[in-house]
Amino acid sequence: MRKQEFLAELEARLFGLPQDDIRERLIFYSEMIDDRMEEGLSEEDAVSEIGPVDEIVSQILAEVPFTAIVKEKVKPKRALKAWEIVLLALGSPIWLSLLIAAFAVMLSAYVAAWSFIVSLWAIGASSAACSFAGIFAAFAFWIRGDVIIGIAMLGAGVFFAGLSILLFFGCKQVTGCFLHLTKKMALGIKSLFVGKGDAE
Amino acid sequence: MDIQLKRGLLDVCVLAAIKSEDSYGYKIIKDIKPYIEMSESTLYTILKRLETADMLTVRTAEHGGRLRKYYHITERGLKRIGEFKKEWKEIMSIYRFVTKGDDDNA
Repeated sequence: MRKQEFLAELEARLFGLPQDDIRERLIFYSEMIDDRMEEGLSEEDAVSEIGPVDEIVSQILAEVPFTAIVKEKVKPKRALKAWEIVLLALGSPIWLSLLIAAFAVMLSAYVAAWSFIVSLWAIGASSAACSFAGIFAAFAFWIRGDVIIGIAMLGAGVFFAGLSILLFFGCKQVTGCFLHLTKKMALGIKSLFVGKGDAE
Repeated sequence: MDIQLKRGLLDVCVLAAIKSEDSYGYKIIKDIKPYIEMSESTLYTILKRLETADMLTVRTAEHGGRLRKYYHITERGLKRIGEFKKEWKEIMSIYRFVTKGDDDNA
């Protein structure tokens, strides 16, 4: 890829970030490529040493705060006309409530997912409690002379102990995956707003 | 390596790369490369962070018919390197404590 192509693609993919930020980054990468070429690398090699645009964009997106993207997005491209402001204000009972509803739906889906994980942990904790109770009851029955019931209780206790250990590792795994997914989702939401200026 | 630890180390590495004389982006990456791998976008973020924290200043100068940015360390940046050296002494003494038993066995 040539230097200009690289910079043009990067610029298009970063569209949606603050303008100054994009310009500064482009100057930075341009200098990096020039310095490599000055050392004797060909233009193509210099660009490929910088790395694929995809990787650069996702790294930048992960670092840029979400607020910076939103601020750039809601910044009007021109001054609003008086009638537009009036319309926005008059329509606010409709669009504002729809917007709030959409956010509420997303938030509740997220909360629901977390409550599922919390309940998994609760099942794990309660089976741990059951195993203690079972083993304790086994001793109580054994002391009273009910050996058969005691053995049954011991069996139940051991069963729940095993279950809670399995659940512990399962829960840990699920929680880790979900945290990872949350990070991915944040990146996904950011990419929804960035890079829509593709000059393809 | 732990991400937080690496971030702190990278900051100090960049400061060290401009400590004795002003330097530019590509040279900083090359100077640090034997010790720690750093991508261009990481360097950009670090330079921004250090500039905001008043640990370095940027000036643009002409070089071979084009512009190049040079980074200059400030008093505060030098102080940060000093702090790092002090912190590192503490970490080394902790390291010696952690590996105490290992040395006896070796």
